[in-house]
Amino acid sequence: MIDCLELRRRVGAEPFTADADLEAHLVDCAACTRYRDELRAMDGMIARALAIDVARLRRSAASGAAESPQSRRRLVAIAASLVAGLAVGLVLLTAAPRASIAREVVDHVVHEPATMASTVPLSPAALAGVLAPEGARLRPGIGDVTFAARCVHDGHVVPHLVVRMPEGAVTVLVLTHRDLGKPLRIEDQGLIGRVLPAPRGSIAIVGQDLADPDAVARKVFEAVDWGV
Amino acid sequence: MNRDDTGTDARRRFGSLCESLRPDLLRFAFWLGRDRQLAEDVVQEAMLRAWKSLDSLTDQGKAKSWLLTIVRREFARSFERKRLEVTDLDALVAAEANVLAAEDDDGLAEMREALFRLEDEYREPLVLQVLMGYTTQEIADAMGMQQGAVLTRLFRARARLRRELGLAGESAP
Repeated sequence: MIDCLELRRRVGAEPFTADADLEAHLVDCAACTRYRDELRAMDGMIARALAIDVARLRRSAASGAAESPQSRRRLVAIAASLVAGLAVGLVLLTAAPRASIAREVVDHVVHEPATMASTVPLSPAALAGVLAPEGARLRPGIGDVTFAARCVHDGHVVPHLVVRMPEGAVTVLVLTHRDLGKPLRIEDQGLIGRVLPAPRGSIAIVGQDLADPDAVARKVFEAVDWGV
Repeated sequence: MNRDDTGTDARRRFGSLCESLRPDLLRFAFWLGRDRQLAEDVVQEAMLRAWKSLDSLTDQGKAKSWLLTIVRREFARSFERKRLEVTDLDALVAAEANVLAAEDDDGLAEMREALFRLEDEYREPLVLQVLMGYTTQEIADAMGMQQGAVLTRLFRARARLRRELGLAGESAP
């Protein structure tokens, strides 16, 4: 059994970490539970703070660049190099095998079993911080969100949620970088789910023992508000 | 598929990849250097270097970490070239006030300023973890540190932010 000091060291470095030792301590320690929840909420705020509006960032930089001949020369150099540089070596990318979306999603979920450990609902601020960079939010009422973090997936940082719905716990990956023409089924390694085309990219919903994965996926899909 | 089709498709995919990663790379560079012009220059230069050394990227799944490494190196070069030194944090905050502002959310602007004032050694791993989604081991690999040292820095970064924002009601270890 870990003590308060150890728990706070670990949670202070990784607020969304979860394992049996941590959960066992949190069950009996209200102060540490509060500390963990505060840190998770703060991380939501940190995520929102770091997600600076790029349009504003670039507009500001562009106004500065207009005064900089060095920057203009660099832009010209980049344009020229784009033509030449792209012709070299790009075949490698095409030749590289690319896993299917379904396989990537299953691999992601299978490799992060700790995300399912917590049953404590996250604060709305923590959840908002994870989804805000995608311009999305989750409408309340669908279920308790017990895990939310931004993970590297397919070379991109994507929101990864665990939502505990009446129908069962599901993992949701918001894949704004992956456009999809039609829904995909997932049935692999004991997981079942769907990947649905979304207003921006796609959204994957997977769980275990889902009686009606289509209905669950549709419910999650409709709970996502893309107009943030 | 003939060679031209393959090249066109690859170019489109790589262009799309860069386009999708560029916002996060720009944000990362901004938080690294706390200067929007420097961030734009560093990311542009990094993209140029990326295109030139594209053959070193053999796994597209690692494109993000590959580009991030190039941005970090380019940032280090810029710092070396310009011998940038931060001597006046207040002036730095004032210079980027437009970017740090958050309409209708004072708490967000306050957090941005607190992050801005955080020492480099604490700010960078925190940005890698929260913004870029890196694990502590990936941060350790990127920064050439032991994982334990990364965990310590992340803990201290959050402790400082809590203190700075008046959230540290209890004593933390």
